[in-house]
Amino acid sequence: MEALRDEPLWTPAVQRPRSLHEAWELKRTFGRDGVYVAGSTLLRTQWEAGTVSMPKSLIDLRGIEDLADIDEDGGGLSIGALADLSRCRRSAALGHMAPAVQEAVRCIAAPAVRNLATIGGNIASGYGDCLPALLVCDAELAVFDGKFLSRRRVEEWLADRWSGMHPQEDILTGIWLAPPAGPAGSRRIEIFRKVGRREAFTPSLVTVAIGCFIDSEGRLSGVKIAAGGGSGRPQRLDIAEAVLEGASIGKEQLASVFEAVVTQFETYGDPFATVEYKKKTAGNLIVAELWKALEGSAGKGDH
Amino acid sequence: MLLSRESSGGRWRTRPDGMEKVTGTLQYLTDMSAEGMLTGRVLRSHQAHARILALRTEKAAAVPGVHAVITHEDVPGLNGFGIALPHQPVFCEDRVRHTGDAIAAVAADSDEIAEYALSLIEVDYELLPVITDPEEAMKEDSVLLHPEGNLLHHTEYRKGNPADAFAGCAYVAEETYFTPRQMHTYMETEGGLFIPEDNGRLTVYSATQHGLMDRKQLSRILAMPEESIRVVSSPIGGSFGGKDELNVQPYGALLALRTGKPVRLHNSRAESVRAGLKRHPMKIAMKTGCDKDGRLMAHQVRIVSDTGAYATLGTEVLNFATEHVMGPYMIEHMEIEGFCIYTNNGVSGEFRGFGGNQAIFAIEGQIDRLAEAAGIDPWEMRLRNLRRYGDPGPLGQPIVQTHGAMQVWEALAAIPLMAERKNGPGRDARDPWTVTGVGSAIAMHGAGLGYGIPDPAGGRLCLALDGKIEAVFGYEEFGQGLIATMEQMLIEQYGFDAGDLRIIIGDTDVVPDSGSSTASRATSMMWMALRRLHPDFTARLAEAAESASGGVSGLTPGPGGMWKEGKLILSYADLARTLNEPIVCETVFHYPTTPHERVGAHFLYTYSSIAVKVEVNLLTGRVRIVDQYHAVAAGPVANPQGYLGQIEGGSGMAVGFTLTEDALMNAGSYVTKNLDTYIIPTIADMSGIQVEAIEDLPEHDTYGPRGVGEIGSVNLAPAVASAIFQAVGKRVTRLPIEPEFLQETPFIPQKAVNANVG
Repeated sequence: MEALRDEPLWTPAVQRPRSLHEAWELKRTFGRDGVYVAGSTLLRTQWEAGTVSMPKSLIDLRGIEDLADIDEDGGGLSIGALADLSRCRRSAALGHMAPAVQEAVRCIAAPAVRNLATIGGNIASGYGDCLPALLVCDAELAVFDGKFLSRRRVEEWLADRWSGMHPQEDILTGIWLAPPAGPAGSRRIEIFRKVGRREAFTPSLVTVAIGCFIDSEGRLSGVKIAAGGGSGRPQRLDIAEAVLEGASIGKEQLASVFEAVVTQFETYGDPFATVEYKKKTAGNLIVAELWKALEGSAGKGDH
Repeated sequence: MLLSRESSGGRWRTRPDGMEKVTGTLQYLTDMSAEGMLTGRVLRSHQAHARILALRTEKAAAVPGVHAVITHEDVPGLNGFGIALPHQPVFCEDRVRHTGDAIAAVAADSDEIAEYALSLIEVDYELLPVITDPEEAMKEDSVLLHPEGNLLHHTEYRKGNPADAFAGCAYVAEETYFTPRQMHTYMETEGGLFIPEDNGRLTVYSATQHGLMDRKQLSRILAMPEESIRVVSSPIGGSFGGKDELNVQPYGALLALRTGKPVRLHNSRAESVRAGLKRHPMKIAMKTGCDKDGRLMAHQVRIVSDTGAYATLGTEVLNFATEHVMGPYMIEHMEIEGFCIYTNNGVSGEFRGFGGNQAIFAIEGQIDRLAEAAGIDPWEMRLRNLRRYGDPGPLGQPIVQTHGAMQVWEALAAIPLMAERKNGPGRDARDPWTVTGVGSAIAMHGAGLGYGIPDPAGGRLCLALDGKIEAVFGYEEFGQGLIATMEQMLIEQYGFDAGDLRIIIGDTDVVPDSGSSTASRATSMMWMALRRLHPDFTARLAEAAESASGGVSGLTPGPGGMWKEGKLILSYADLARTLNEPIVCETVFHYPTTPHERVGAHFLYTYSSIAVKVEVNLLTGRVRIVDQYHAVAAGPVANPQGYLGQIEGGSGMAVGFTLTEDALMNAGSYVTKNLDTYIIPTIADMSGIQVEAIEDLPEHDTYGPRGVGEIGSVNLAPAVASAIFQAVGKRVTRLPIEPEFLQETPFIPQKAVNANVG
C-alpha cells in the first residue's frame, strides 16, 4: 500500500519451457527478473507479504515432462520435483521407503495448498518442512546445472543453498531415496514431528526428525537426527547422534541427548516463540519420541 | 435437552440460505459488479502518530486511468464518523493517529492503476511520539491524542465498604489478567459497490449490522438527506461486531458521487487487518476476598481498556465489562473502576461478547483461586455465591428474573465430565508428557444495548398482492442464521409453509427500523415482534378470507393458505387476487430495559455454564481442548440448528481468544498482517461440543427466547485456565496462553529422575 513505485504494477509474464534446458536458458537470460515456479504457493505468500518482490517473469516448470513421477527404481524411490504434496502424501511407496518424509508432507499446509504445492518447491525454498526428514533418510537431490543432471547429498545441497553461492540457474529435478539398510536383524525407526501454532495448516515453529536402526540388543546404529522449523536452516544434530550411536538407551542418554540438542540446535526467535522455547521443544520432542519408539524394544529395560 | 439433529426432530430444518453458502455460489455484496465501474482504493497513514505537514496528490491525479483523487477537502459534510461519537476522520487533515487512518482515496479504471496512483501521493509528516501502552497514555505528561485528553471513558461502581470488608476476609486473591487484541477475521473483508443513481440518489451495497445507522452516518458525511441514500447490507460474509461501524462506505460513497460512476472497493486482508476493528485488549486487576466458608465479601477491580485511536463503541464496551466483572455472584462490598484509553494502536471496537469475555475470564479466575485457598471445590464455591431468583442485577438494577444461574449450575454439576474432574489430572503411561485436566466456568451475559441507549424494535408482516406472505425487518444476515430463524418462527407461530414466505431484510428503502443486529438481540426482537403482530395479522387475514370466500368465517392461516377444520379453503394467491392493496401490519416497540437509571445497564440476561477437558503437552506447552459441554439457559429454542451453531461458532472464536489469537503490534504497526501469522483455529483445533439448552422460564415470563449470539464465546477461556490448573498446577493470567509458560523440561537430569520417564 505504501511502497513507492516507479512504475505501475505489472502482471508477470509466464514462460512455459518444455525442457529443462530451455528453462535453464530462460533463467540465465532473465537473471533476477525471472523466477522458477511450479505451485508457487510459498512465493505467493512472500509476494503478498512484500518480503519478496514480484518478478517480471515466471518460469513455469510444470510443462516439463516426467518431473512429476514417483517411481520405484532399483530398490530405491525416485520422486520428481513436480510431484505435488497431495500425491506424495498418498504414495504407498513413499510411506514404505521414508515414513518421516511422508509424515512431513502430511503436516504441510492444507489440502488446497497441497494440491498445488510440489515437493520440489518445498525443498527449493531451503527451509521446507520436508528437509529435516530428508536429512535423516538416505536421500539425494537431483540437480540440473545446464548440462548435466547430478545427484547430491541433501546436506551438501543445503550447505550450498544457504551459502548463497549456488548457481541461481540450477534446477532441482527430483529426490532419490535409497532403501534404508541397517545391520542384520535390526529394525528401522523413523520419526518426524512438527510443532506449529495450531493443530493443522500452520507454519512450523520446530520440526524434528530421527532415523536409526535398533538391534535385538537394543543398540542403536546409523543414528541421524535433524531439526528445523519456520524459515530456519534445517540441520543435522551430530552431537546428539554421537551420544546415541552404538548405545542402548537409558536415562543418562536421554538427558545427554536433550542437552546436546539444546546446545547444538541453531534457530531464531520470532514474535511467536523464543529461541529458548524452540530449542527446548526440539530437545523434548527428540528425546520423547525416541523413548516412545523404543518402548517395547530392548531399550525399555532401563525404565 | 441436548441439542442435535436427532433430539430436534422436525424442528431441525435445512436453512434456506444454506446450500448457496456451503457451495460458495451465494453472491455477497463484495462479489457484485456494475457496468463501467471504477476501483476505489484508500491511502492509509504511513505513520502511527504524526502531524501532516503537506499532502500532494497532483501526480496521482495525472495518472491515465485515474478518475478522482479525494482528500479531506472533498468531504461535503461532517469529516467524521463513529456510531457513538463521530470523531474518526473520514480523511485526516492535519494529524494521523494510527496506521489505519485514511488520508486520501483514488478511483481508477483498475486496481493496478489505483494502487500505482496511491504510491504517487506524497505526504509530509512530522513524527509524534507513538503511544502504545494505555497506562503510559494515562500519565499526566503524556502527549494528548485528542483535545479532551487520552481518557475516552471512565466507569465506577461502588457498593458497601470494600476496604473494611477485606480486613475481615479469611482469604484474598489478587491477580492481574491480560486479554488479547482479537480480530473478527470474517471470511468476507470489508467492501462494497457504490452506485450514483440517475435520480440523484446513491445506492450503497455494503455490509453493516445496522443499515439505517450507516445511512444516518453517510448522510452526515455526504451532506445528503437520509432518504436520498439506500443502503443494501445483506447477505454478509461474517461480521461479529466488526462491520457494525462504518469502514469503506464513506470512501466508496464519496468516490461514486465525485466521479458519477459506480465504484467498487474491497479491502485486501492486509488492509482489513490494518484499518479494521479489534477486540479491546484489557488489563484487569482484581482483588477479591471471601470468608472461611468461601462466601465472597469484597471485590475490587481496575479495568484498563485499550481503545486505540478513536472511540467507536469503546465507551459502551467498557460499560459492559464494568457490569460483568462481578459475574453472576452476590458480593456485598465492591469497588469497580474502569478506564477506556486512547492509544496509537489501531482501533478497538465492538466484538461478540462486547467486553464480557475479558471480564468473565478475570472474575472466574478469581473464584478458582479463592476456592483453592479456602479448600473448597470450585464448583461448590460458585454455588455458595451464585445469584438466586429475585436477586438484583450486577449493578443493583432490577432485571428480568429467572432461575437461569442456578439452572446452568445444576445442569453442569450433573454431567459425566464434571464427575471426571473429581478424579484429578489424567496421564497415559504410554505418553507420560500429555496431562489432562477438566475445568469449568459460569457466566451471565446481558443482551440488548442497555438503559439509556436508543434500542428500537419492530417489523412488518404483509400479504402481498402476488400472494406471498412478506416479513420485512431491518435486520441483517451475516451467517448467524437470522433468515432461517425468522422462517422457522413464521412457520411455527403462524402455521405458514416455507414456500408461502418472502423474507425481506437489509435494505433501508423498504425495511422498518428494527434496530441493530447486535447485542444478541435480533432473535428476541423478531420473536416479540411476531407475537405482537399475531392477533392483528391473523384477524385481518381471516377477515379478508371471509369476504373472499363468500362468508366462510373462522378461517386460520396454515400452509399454502387459509384453513378451516383441517381443510385448505383458500390459497394465499387466491386471497391476494381479491385484494386491492396488500394487507399490512406493523409493530413498533423498544427493547425492554431496566428502570434503573444507569446507562448501559441490562435487563435481560442469558446464563451459561461450561466444562472443558484439555490436554497439556508438557514437551511443547501446547494445549488442546478435547471436550466441551455448554449448558445454556436462554429461554425457548427458536431454531435448534441456529442455537447450536451459535454456541459452536462462539466457542470457536473463544478457542482462538484462549489459545492462538492476538493481533500483535509493534510501535503502532500490525506484526500479524495476514492469516499466516494471525492464527485462528481450524476444525482440527475444535473438540466435540455438547450443548444443553435449558428452555424453562418462569410462568409469568413474557420475553421469550433470549439471545445466544455471544454467550458461547464468553466463558471458555476461564474454563480452559481452570482445566490447565488441574492438569499442571499453573495459573494462567494472560491470553492467548503462551506455550512457553506451560512447557517443561523433563529430561534435564535433576528433574528427569523418576519424574516422568519410567
